[in-house]
Amino acid sequence: MAKNDDCVHILQGLLVFGNVVIGMCGIALTAECIYFVSNPHDLYTLLKATENSDIYAAAWIGIFVGLALFALSILGIIGVIKASRTLLLLYIILMLITFAFEMASCITAATHQDSLTPELFLKQMLERYQKSEPANNSDNEITKTWDELMLQNHCCGVLGPSDWQKYASVFRSTHTDADYPWPRMCCILDAQGLPISLDGCKLGVPGYYNSNGCYDAISGPVNTHAWGVAWFGFAILCWIFCVLLGTMFYWSRIEY
Amino acid sequence: FRGCSGGSTSSTAPSWLLTAVQLGYMPVLTTEPRLEGQKTASTFVLDQPRCVFKDYGNADIWLVVALDGAESSFNNTDRPGSPEIAFQSFPNPARAYMTLNATLANYPCPKPAGDITVLRVGSETSCAKDEMRPTCNGPLPGPGPYRVKFLALEGSVPVAETQWSEKIMLPEAKSSNTISTTGSGHSAGMIAITTILSILFAILLAALVAMLVFWSSDSCSGSSTFSKPESVTVRRYNTHHVYDQPAARL
Repeated sequence: MAKNDDCVHILQGLLVFGNVVIGMCGIALTAECIYFVSNPHDLYTLLKATENSDIYAAAWIGIFVGLALFALSILGIIGVIKASRTLLLLYIILMLITFAFEMASCITAATHQDSLTPELFLKQMLERYQKSEPANNSDNEITKTWDELMLQNHCCGVLGPSDWQKYASVFRSTHTDADYPWPRMCCILDAQGLPISLDGCKLGVPGYYNSNGCYDAISGPVNTHAWGVAWFGFAILCWIFCVLLGTMFYWSRIEY
Repeated sequence: FRGCSGGSTSSTAPSWLLTAVQLGYMPVLTTEPRLEGQKTASTFVLDQPRCVFKDYGNADIWLVVALDGAESSFNNTDRPGSPEIAFQSFPNPARAYMTLNATLANYPCPKPAGDITVLRVGSETSCAKDEMRPTCNGPLPGPGPYRVKFLALEGSVPVAETQWSEKIMLPEAKSSNTISTTGSGHSAGMIAITTILSILFAILLAALVAMLVFWSSDSCSGSSTFSKPESVTVRRYNTHHVYDQPAARL
């Protein structure tokens, strides 16, 4: 029975190795999702206003799935070494439940990333930026977020300052086109927060206004996030699939 | 760079000309440097007429803005500031107005290299409704089209004029309702993730079911199994040596 024993040990070794990798990936997933949820780019207000913040829901699920994977991997290692049918059955069932949750998180992240088009942000900006009678607090938040976004990333509008010219907006209804072809935050400001040349900014002289759109600054972090949650989760799930099949095979062969 | 400011000087030199001299210059929108605000909804930017009015050092140079089609009805002898051509009555009933008064000193020739010399038509919002300022450079009331020309007046006598410009059409803003936010469909990545994960999950569920069925129907596992490390094997011991007694034990 030496060959059988060797097979046992090889399979046990592989399963323990698989579970160790799952544990480490679980920790990595938790860390990654905590990073995204802690919102280093202040984009949560914009996403929440689009009623499309499911990417954050996917990240929250990712945190708990990561912790569950770590705990289950320890359970799996113990079960494999002890060759206990009960433990391994419990492990398989809980791992399947975690698989289902992580699957939901990945699909949500991938789907909602597709829906964050420039048009979505453009419409929101035109309808709510500098709304004169803010209906609720989120309009003020949107104005503040856009002002900070334009200031820090040296950008204007979603696709460019021409957004303010091509489309009517609530901003245009309170600020005349001749005085404000685009908001003052689109001008290059000095240390006191005043435009270095107001005429240059109003004319659109290169060097006195921000000519890029902000969409890259918004979509960059959001896309990285969605890719991180969706594709890293997908990779982990493929690995879990293999380990689970191996565990089921091992389980069915344990002498009871 | 320099913009154009107001400031008029009156001159009283009489002119012998009955009609103004037609100069060959045509006013153009500024293309060098490229300005984002060259045409906005209510303003546009023209090149200053440098080196055009060289011979008219004593004249006031005015900009005439007219609706397209009204150039022929504009009379050079209309005095700037008269009610028929006041900005505040533009575009109805006045079909043209005069603004941006300057002299040759404001347009030195030649233009210094590197300076941006432009005229922004429509930049004064403070006097747009002020009837006391009929030569206000106020914002244009609609998308146009408009035509402009420069007119040099000595006193109130027109001495020189440029050609009328090409039609200037200003952009009109669309409503934000025209922006469609329905997604562009699902990307290939999302479809791949969904399909593959669903298949993997289905396989796992099937394997779990097979495993449980296999377990419950297989009460005695006779095939090759892995021995558990702490399994206890029982060996049968013959504690008593029981032999068949030979029948001849009497």
